[in-house]
Amino acid sequence: MVDITVRVNGATHAGSVEARTTLSDFLRDDLDLTGTHVGCEHGVCGACTVIVDGRAVRSCLMLAVQAVGSEVTTVEGLASDGALGALQQAMWDSHSFQCGFCTPGFVMQASALLGGHPEAGEQEIREALSGNICRCTGYQSIIDGVLLAARRSREDRAQQ
Amino acid sequence: MTQIAAERYTGTSIKRSEDPRILTGRGCYIADVKLPGMLHAAFVRSPLAHARVLAVDASAARALPGVVAVFTGADLEAVTIPGPDPLLALMGGGGPMPEYTLLGTDKVRFVGDPVAVVVAESRYLAEDGCELVEVDYEDLPPVVSAAFALDAGSPPVFANLGDNIIGPPKRSEFGDVAGTFAGADRVAEFHIDVHRHQNVPMEGRGCVASHDADSGIMTVYAATQSVHVTRMGVAMRLGMEPDKVRVLAGDIGGSFGLKIGASREELAVAAASRSLGRPVKWIEDRSENLTASGQAREESFDVRAAVGNDGDLLGLDVQMVIDTGAYPVMGTMVPAIMEMMLPGPYKLAALGFESTAVITNKASYVAYRGPWASETFVRERVLDLLAKDLGLDPLEIRLRNVAPRTNPPFSMITGRPLVGVTSKESLERVAQIVDIPAFRCRQAEERARGRYLGIGLATFIEAAPGPRSPEPPSGPMGMEHMRLRLAEDGIVTLFTGQMPHGQSHQTTLAQIAADEFGVPFEQVRVVIGDSDVVPFGLTGGSRSATMTGGVALHGARQLRAKVLDFAAVLIEASSRDLEITDGQVLVRGDPDSAIRVGEVARQAASGRFDADVDTSLEVEASFDGGEGGWSGGSHCAIVEVDAETGIVKVERYVAAEDCGALINPAVVEGQIRGGIAQGIGAVLLERSAYDQDGNFQSATFMDYLLPTACDVPRIELEHLETVPLDADVNFRGVGEGGMIVAPPTLVNAIEDALTPFGVRIYEQHLPPARILELIAEADAG
Repeated sequence: MVDITVRVNGATHAGSVEARTTLSDFLRDDLDLTGTHVGCEHGVCGACTVIVDGRAVRSCLMLAVQAVGSEVTTVEGLASDGALGALQQAMWDSHSFQCGFCTPGFVMQASALLGGHPEAGEQEIREALSGNICRCTGYQSIIDGVLLAARRSREDRAQQ
Repeated sequence: MTQIAAERYTGTSIKRSEDPRILTGRGCYIADVKLPGMLHAAFVRSPLAHARVLAVDASAARALPGVVAVFTGADLEAVTIPGPDPLLALMGGGGPMPEYTLLGTDKVRFVGDPVAVVVAESRYLAEDGCELVEVDYEDLPPVVSAAFALDAGSPPVFANLGDNIIGPPKRSEFGDVAGTFAGADRVAEFHIDVHRHQNVPMEGRGCVASHDADSGIMTVYAATQSVHVTRMGVAMRLGMEPDKVRVLAGDIGGSFGLKIGASREELAVAAASRSLGRPVKWIEDRSENLTASGQAREESFDVRAAVGNDGDLLGLDVQMVIDTGAYPVMGTMVPAIMEMMLPGPYKLAALGFESTAVITNKASYVAYRGPWASETFVRERVLDLLAKDLGLDPLEIRLRNVAPRTNPPFSMITGRPLVGVTSKESLERVAQIVDIPAFRCRQAEERARGRYLGIGLATFIEAAPGPRSPEPPSGPMGMEHMRLRLAEDGIVTLFTGQMPHGQSHQTTLAQIAADEFGVPFEQVRVVIGDSDVVPFGLTGGSRSATMTGGVALHGARQLRAKVLDFAAVLIEASSRDLEITDGQVLVRGDPDSAIRVGEVARQAASGRFDADVDTSLEVEASFDGGEGGWSGGSHCAIVEVDAETGIVKVERYVAAEDCGALINPAVVEGQIRGGIAQGIGAVLLERSAYDQDGNFQSATFMDYLLPTACDVPRIELEHLETVPLDADVNFRGVGEGGMIVAPPTLVNAIEDALTPFGVRIYEQHLPPARILELIAEADAG
């Protein structure tokens, strides 16, 4: 067992894990942050996407011990005080999701995308999200949610 | 149209009440369930397709620190009741059943067949334990193809059945088959194959079983399409009274037909919990889900079509073989539905249909979104092939053969009347939207430049729920029930056996009830997922829009009447003069008389009324579907096929759908788009592949490819004006339609694109390599 200290959603957490414990399992089982979902454990579906030091990462392909010294953000850390963030609100308004299992991964991936590319258009959004699999929606409603968030953010900036 | 009282919410794309928790990671899926003292299970699975199990040695596994127990097939045989899959037991039509134990004891029958379950302090340690379980197998010749399964010489997968034909050839005839074929201008013959592919929800199967020895109650947290069917399955196989089994379900990460009843693994986990006296959790990983949860659609068809030279499709004679895999679940039930649906919305005068179901050493054939969908694939493929033979346009041949809407309605040769079917309208509408003549010009120009564009059309109908039948509906897909009550906080609660896994029932049912009862949307709560509390129900068969929407409407109306009858006593007015608007009971035209419904409920609960006053503000409603109706539509795809790489791009996809009145348009559109995406996946990407030894080759997402955001285009959806049949309930199901009709739409488009090469397509899986093969074969031939 390895003793680790990891910063998640702005708080420091101490844990004791096997060296082979994945970051996704550590978040879900040790920290009870079950918002991050595990869909494949081999890095293809993207449901486990979290943000580590500002970059979207597949937490199923990372070991918990590798997160020592990093800032990790999960879907639980996006909205403050239970209110939805702007991206989440836009996705709610756009009926982006159905069963919701892929949702946290999409929210984190899209959040990272818009953070770096606020002007992203449809094609860029599709490519950036092509590593997240959804089985329910056919993607259109998810793209619409991201486009809406981008547009609202643009309008906010224009007003300032 | 629907006569809902206020109609403020029904028909609008109101935001979902599920989303705040979904978007913030606060959903509760089966893998999120944690109980004190919980252990974790992992399964030892067969690496061989067909083998005898000579010995199982779990001693090293049991000795591993952290491993609490190992249950072999023999251990579980002692504490469970043998029998078929619960879904099959519930809905199967009889016939000889294969005999097998819960986990493999004497034999394993497909790669991934579970042989033992290891229970440990963590999933990691349980998997370590699995690696230490030594199983001695004796290889047997595998039965991997339906052709071999049909051969009497193939080794029987189940000793008690004697051979591998679980559904011997059964033939039915409708109309004068012999006469129709004898009198036809021509008879065309085709062999069509549909490949094995599968549900692949983003969340796999799983459960947490917790047996309490003191009360004797088994609580199973499940991911299921029906808590009651799962309860029945657990009770049946564990030899328990159903009242001693409670099934709970929360959020479910998709299913598409996979998660119904109780799988062998879930039953093993429940038995383990009972033996250990501790909660046991099993969450399947993706390789288990792809390998062992079940697969679908592996069917082959020999089709004869009796045709008139003008393009009249006079009759079809179809022989079908369905590969049900090793442990039958749904495969034996599908042919009967296909037979009934094969004529579609067309004026087919004669149908001969024969089906054979075989057992092979592969994962079970399970229900997958529109399990009978291949009837539409075969029919719509055949129409295009015939059109080509006769020099007719694909739209033309369909419009020629589609049944007109007559009164009395035209009936399918297999019996059901085509009441309110708008197939002709949807074909015309989709053709209008796409402008086919303009496309043909562009197609010709692009062909001259060496680019291969194609257009494909297909139409379908689905019994969602189908028109009213002479007998009332029965069985698990029968009457729909709902309990509704008004509580003292003013909340109208709906208790339903529906188990949404993406269908947004907590929103749509609330829309209907809010309108009918007279409260704001936020004042309705939909309770699901507790077999102790909700009535029997099953989410499946695209039934909930009609059946559950209908019982919510009628139930809310009944509850409203009951509340008004009581309020009449309370206010000393006639209930005829009372109404409920915006959550308040008032005398019509007198706003000062308004009382909040919550206050009415508090008064009812106060105990101060005489016994002759009915103060229970609760109803139990049932609904038989009313006049019901068909759902259906026509789809059109424009594709480009790259003849060098074989890559297909879907340039445009248009669907004109009729699913009756819409409860929530955004929800409806999401269902259709999702189904179409699965159709794109089925044709271009997905295949559950076995090699000739029965080794499974699609056990990861690197091998089983799913469509991504770059593979599914913007889909243009048009909703047709529906034909209302019922005074109140004209919502019809839409969950399966997209997946039923998208595959033939796409294959028709691909074949059209490859016309210059002379390619004819008699199959559904067309990845790049196959496209190139088809081009080469047509070149050579």
